[in-house]
Amino acid sequence: MTTNQIDPEATCAGRLVELSPRLAEIKRRIRAGEHHRFRATETIDVRAECDAEGLSWPQRAARLTRRMCEAQTVVIEPDERIVFTRTVRSTPPIYSDEQMQALTAGRTLHELGPISNICADWGMVLSQGLIARRRTALDTRRRLAGDARAVEFLDCAVETIDAVLTLAARYAEEARRMGRDDVAEVLDRVPALPAASFREALQSLRICHAVLWLGGHYHCGFGRFDRYMWPYLQADLDAGRLDEAAAEELLAEFFISLNRDSDLYPGIQQGDNGQSLMLGGVRPDGSSGVNPLTAMALRVARATALIDPKINLRVDGETDLDLLATAVELTRIGLGFPQYANDEVVIPGLVAAGYELQDARDYTVAACWEFIIPGRGMEVVNIGAASMPAAADRAIRAGLSEGETFERILERAGADLRAQVRDLAAASRKLLLPPAPYYSVLMDGCLERGRDLSEGLKYNNFGIHGAASSSAADALAAVRSLVFEEKRVAPDRLLRALDTDFAEDEPLLRMLREEAPKVGNNDERADALLVKLFDLFAEACAAAGDNARGGRYRPGSGSAMYYVWLARGHEGMREPSVGATADGRRAGEFFSSSLAPSPGVAVRGPFSALQSFGKIDYERVCNGGPLTMEISDSLFRGGDAARKVALFVGAFVKSGCQQLQLNTLNAETLKDAQVHPELHRNLVVRVWGWSGYFCELDRAYQDQIIGRHIFGD
Amino acid sequence: MATIGTVFDIREMTVHDGPGLRTTVFLKGCPLRCAWCHNPEGVAAAPQTMRSPAGERIAGRAYTSEELAGILNGQASLLRDIGGVTFSGGEPAMQAAFVAETIDRLEGLHVTLDTSGSAPEQDFLLLAQRCDLVLFDLKLMDADAHRRWTGSDNGLILANLAALAGLGKPFVIRVPLVPGVTDTDENLSAIAERASALPGPPRVELLPYNRAAGGKYAACGLPWQPEFDETAPIRANLKPFRNLNVEAVIQ
Repeated sequence: MTTNQIDPEATCAGRLVELSPRLAEIKRRIRAGEHHRFRATETIDVRAECDAEGLSWPQRAARLTRRMCEAQTVVIEPDERIVFTRTVRSTPPIYSDEQMQALTAGRTLHELGPISNICADWGMVLSQGLIARRRTALDTRRRLAGDARAVEFLDCAVETIDAVLTLAARYAEEARRMGRDDVAEVLDRVPALPAASFREALQSLRICHAVLWLGGHYHCGFGRFDRYMWPYLQADLDAGRLDEAAAEELLAEFFISLNRDSDLYPGIQQGDNGQSLMLGGVRPDGSSGVNPLTAMALRVARATALIDPKINLRVDGETDLDLLATAVELTRIGLGFPQYANDEVVIPGLVAAGYELQDARDYTVAACWEFIIPGRGMEVVNIGAASMPAAADRAIRAGLSEGETFERILERAGADLRAQVRDLAAASRKLLLPPAPYYSVLMDGCLERGRDLSEGLKYNNFGIHGAASSSAADALAAVRSLVFEEKRVAPDRLLRALDTDFAEDEPLLRMLREEAPKVGNNDERADALLVKLFDLFAEACAAAGDNARGGRYRPGSGSAMYYVWLARGHEGMREPSVGATADGRRAGEFFSSSLAPSPGVAVRGPFSALQSFGKIDYERVCNGGPLTMEISDSLFRGGDAARKVALFVGAFVKSGCQQLQLNTLNAETLKDAQVHPELHRNLVVRVWGWSGYFCELDRAYQDQIIGRHIFGD
Repeated sequence: MATIGTVFDIREMTVHDGPGLRTTVFLKGCPLRCAWCHNPEGVAAAPQTMRSPAGERIAGRAYTSEELAGILNGQASLLRDIGGVTFSGGEPAMQAAFVAETIDRLEGLHVTLDTSGSAPEQDFLLLAQRCDLVLFDLKLMDADAHRRWTGSDNGLILANLAALAGLGKPFVIRVPLVPGVTDTDENLSAIAERASALPGPPRVELLPYNRAAGGKYAACGLPWQPEFDETAPIRANLKPFRNLNVEAVIQ
């Protein structure tokens, strides 16, 4: 027996920040949509002039960014310090449908088309300023004067830079006219020049980021915010230009501003906009990169309590418990973030996948959870999903019909996954990434090399998710235990039940649900099959070879919308859907989101879940996809509750899991919100890789959330 | 040959049963019949059927000490850093041999005993000696009141408290604050006095009554008709403890 020293007296660290009346009012106006009155009713036409001038695709992309910037009405509300409000609702097409079809004949566009789901090198942009980027473009243009493609790209890049500078100048002019010299002076300098203060850096980021969206890009991330922002804040604090409270006020205003236009952003559901922001983690040399802005951003996000930006925190065994407690205080209010990433697992996984160690140490997340390197990745992290339940189900049905052994069924599942991945990979090799001159300005090396980012960056991998893995592993575990080992279920009986959706065999349905081993209980009989499925999936991705862009296929463990789509089918979906499955799941019932025990199964608790999912070999499954856990808000009773829940984040690191989404839920509140949405307008929930307003979700997504396991209830 | 015990729940990530995060084992069977008991399925020693609109389940499962220790040791790599294991109930000392054997099989885990103290001294000490921390429930100092509200005398409990103090183990006195029953000035003063007389003196934690207590009675097929007023305000009075320099907190 040992005597562990855990101080029961320890209390939560970190004071709580409250919004000032000024910011509370700005937030109120945004939530009420009062700024929508500034939005233009008409859309702009860019295509006509592009056709008339016979512009190329890159030129059209640049022209679009320019015209969108020009079409913005300047909006400066009297109480704002960090400005920009989008007034043009939608991004117009630059080609007709017919033109687009001709351009993309034999190829496919990813999702909506424009480059999305990557992360700019914001640190570089803020520290250089756009005039320096422009100079770089012109230097390269002189150097590569004989390279027509480079010249065209660089001219396009300069056009977009000038568009942003003109937009900022218009804002400065209007600010000065309004007597807002404070705003004007900031905009006189940024984004043109290197930011010289925290406020300038935030304002520069706000405009440069918003213009990405104007140009049709989406799921635009913020990268390692505390790493690149801290030098500006530190200089202000050291020089006495700002105190901590003033810095928090600025930061809160910046966070609130990211919610102003987000209803105009495309996504599968409202809130799915990928404005992810990473905190914490290490420096290039591996030492801790945590700084005072890390905790400040967590505190401020708690105070603003809005769905954007979506906070992520990198953690490892050395992460300070005070910082974790501050993070958990944010978890407590139920926004569904921060999402935690385990450096001890993620970094070796990226290195094993071919990333340089220094780059791997600089990872952030794309829109939801996939790991990418800011500024250096033109990766398409979610080209599709392999349906693990479909692979398991087809293997089970075929194998049992043929009277095969369980080992043979596993081989079939492996072959099925290889075929699914092969098909996704074949389709992905036809991907056509459109030119993105403005996004290229913000990335490493594009201007320097005279090449658009769509032509590739340092890292060009594609990601495929192995979706709904728990249900697949449970189905295989049920077959192995009940059919093969215990011989309690005859193969024919199971096959018949699967074909008839258990309509005539309720007892079998119950047996499969209640007596078969399940993933999430630290039960080797089920967990070994989860591990096996991911190994087979990793082998399938490795076997798929290269992606025709100098990259490979990274296997992941996320489910995104696939926990719904793979269960019910979806228009235009390439992935197979399944009917009833051998884990005792009826046709149409949802899977769990990313990594989580299957819905409705009896689970021992969160420690067992950590241990089950910690067994996956994440060195081979490096694309990302979080263990998703709901905890009851009742766990937060008592003065030292945050510190206790913080210990759980420490246990997550220790368990060897890769990524953790820890959500605080109260099922009763959610049910009430379905009945009385008007009383719960601001109720936020985590959906998959993002958070949204519960009442704005389709009913099916609402029901899935209510049905999740809630620990600690 | 491993001893067999009956457990009605194993909960992971409990936050109110000792330091840090814990896995709490709830042992079935209790000699007391507290009017405010919120774990009615922990009272009877034998497994029983719980019925609710969601279906039926059996509360209470037999484990060998080896099996139970195996489950807990399986979590040891996590629990060692963040907390440990707590034995609660029911009254764990009613299955003292089983619990003691389980504890002896644990691999370096912090062990907390959450007890009513209502057990023969040798059983109580068998467990208390093996634990790192004891959470000792003290409900009512008046013997008659104790009989009325818990169905038993408190003589054994007070004797075990004294024995516990003699062990020199860290322990905490926990007082459930039941409105009009245990939260009276008289009772709290008497508890404060007893605590102050103990070496240390130990810290006292006051646990306000939770109105969800009656939630599980219907599923157990039992009536929930408390003879105290559930809705009455709870008097969480720390003054009697402060007056005697006994550290007291409200949980």
